[in-house]
Amino acid sequence: MKNRIEIVGVGMTRAAEEWELGLLDIAIKAAGMALDDAKCDKVDAVVVANALGGALGDQQNLALHVASGLGLEQVETFSVSCDEASGGSAVRLASALIVSGMHETILVVGAEKTSDALPDMLETVRAAGLDSANETSFGFSPTIAAALGMQQYLSTYKLDKELFFHIAKVAHAHGATNRNAMFRWTLEPAQYNKSPIVATPLSVCDNAPPCDGAAALVVKKASAQTSRVCILGSANVAVEKGIVHPITRLSLPAATESAKAAWSESGCDRSAMSFFELHDSNAFLAILSIEAVGLAEPGEALMRAAAGDFHLKGPSPLWTFGGHKSRGHAPGAGGIYQIVEAVLGLRGDAGENQVLNADKAMVQCLGSFGAQAVTHVLG
Amino acid sequence: MQIAKSWRRQPSNLRLEGTRCTACGHLAFPATIRCRQCGQAEFDVYQFTGFGEVVVSSIVYEAPRDFGEHVPYCAAVVRLEEGISIATMITDVDPEDVSPGMPVEMVTRRIAAQGDKGPILYAYKFAPLLENQ
Repeated sequence: MKNRIEIVGVGMTRAAEEWELGLLDIAIKAAGMALDDAKCDKVDAVVVANALGGALGDQQNLALHVASGLGLEQVETFSVSCDEASGGSAVRLASALIVSGMHETILVVGAEKTSDALPDMLETVRAAGLDSANETSFGFSPTIAAALGMQQYLSTYKLDKELFFHIAKVAHAHGATNRNAMFRWTLEPAQYNKSPIVATPLSVCDNAPPCDGAAALVVKKASAQTSRVCILGSANVAVEKGIVHPITRLSLPAATESAKAAWSESGCDRSAMSFFELHDSNAFLAILSIEAVGLAEPGEALMRAAAGDFHLKGPSPLWTFGGHKSRGHAPGAGGIYQIVEAVLGLRGDAGENQVLNADKAMVQCLGSFGAQAVTHVLG
Repeated sequence: MQIAKSWRRQPSNLRLEGTRCTACGHLAFPATIRCRQCGQAEFDVYQFTGFGEVVVSSIVYEAPRDFGEHVPYCAAVVRLEEGISIATMITDVDPEDVSPGMPVEMVTRRIAAQGDKGPILYAYKFAPLLENQ
């Protein structure tokens, strides 16, 4: 990237059910942490990612309210809503505003509040990122689409469902040592196998748990001699919508092309990445993401997980803080959580979740069941 | 689904009508107003036959709001004989008996109701093809 962006501050709240805090509260809390980390009290713009707030009847135009709550005056505000790709898209937008010369320093926040909604209402609103007229209105949701995809994957590659345990196992192994994670425990096969079925063959353990949470970054144009973590490349790719495409093709072309473009811009390739943060809102999108970016051949993601490839000390460390599955899934904030966690890993500040000698990372979030993919290469 | 939206969608929901681009022949379901293949905006109405086969199916035990009355129901991807795949429910059969390759046909059924006093959406589902067909 010719005009590199540096990340000068990060912050995140715990992923949890925050009964005493509202959407705006957790957004401001994470934003304040990032501003403190950056030792910064003035920004030119505020970009806020949120996927569900408006549809749940909470807060729309969240960026304006976050800026106001922080006492930031005379700033430009943008609210970004791109389903579960909102976080990555918000960072892309902030980068573009800086590279264009329009602004110098930008606060980027991702926030989501899911716990106020009853489960069936939450599932309905999450489904609004799909095709509302042809999928949501007919009783489909991301969870049901993932179940169909898992079934198709198992049938096509002639695999046993129990192999999906290894995907959840990796996430929980890493989330167990993340103090911000919602589920800080390792997962055993017995727990996985008795997990209630939501839609065959998908069980509760194959889905990331919805949570409340917010994460934030302060970004600015990198100085020539910066030693901070920078955005080396990024890309946002959209392809034909429709849940039937990933289910029937068992591939995510948006994820593949987005990764290629981001790597190309960064001047690096997959082999240069120290670790990966991919989209794991459910086990189906998780395994297709793994295959889309080349961490496993088609049909082999589960075997690679079982072989230990994705553990912190494996050849391709993945979900280093537990991913959405163990940390918790705050849909509109997930992309920012991923980047904040990657920054900690690249700074050497990841504690027990540290990948040794990490100097580059790839982060990718997906929207509308994989029809959109936003990738960032950091280093 | 709102009443106006349901009314607007009647041709596709009740008759499985889509469009065929007059320039390139590309079929679309549901109907489109601009061909995603060639960019033209002139179409013939195309009546899909309503026959197809199950690609993959799932039995749903936890449904989104307004669909709880159907649980457990069979969600599926059906490939129409014209080659287009759609997400739909399979009906008139025990969900356990649905399998890939099963021949199915379009039927009109109750999809969802918005509470006790809200509108009821009727639209397509797919049922196993009768043997004499």
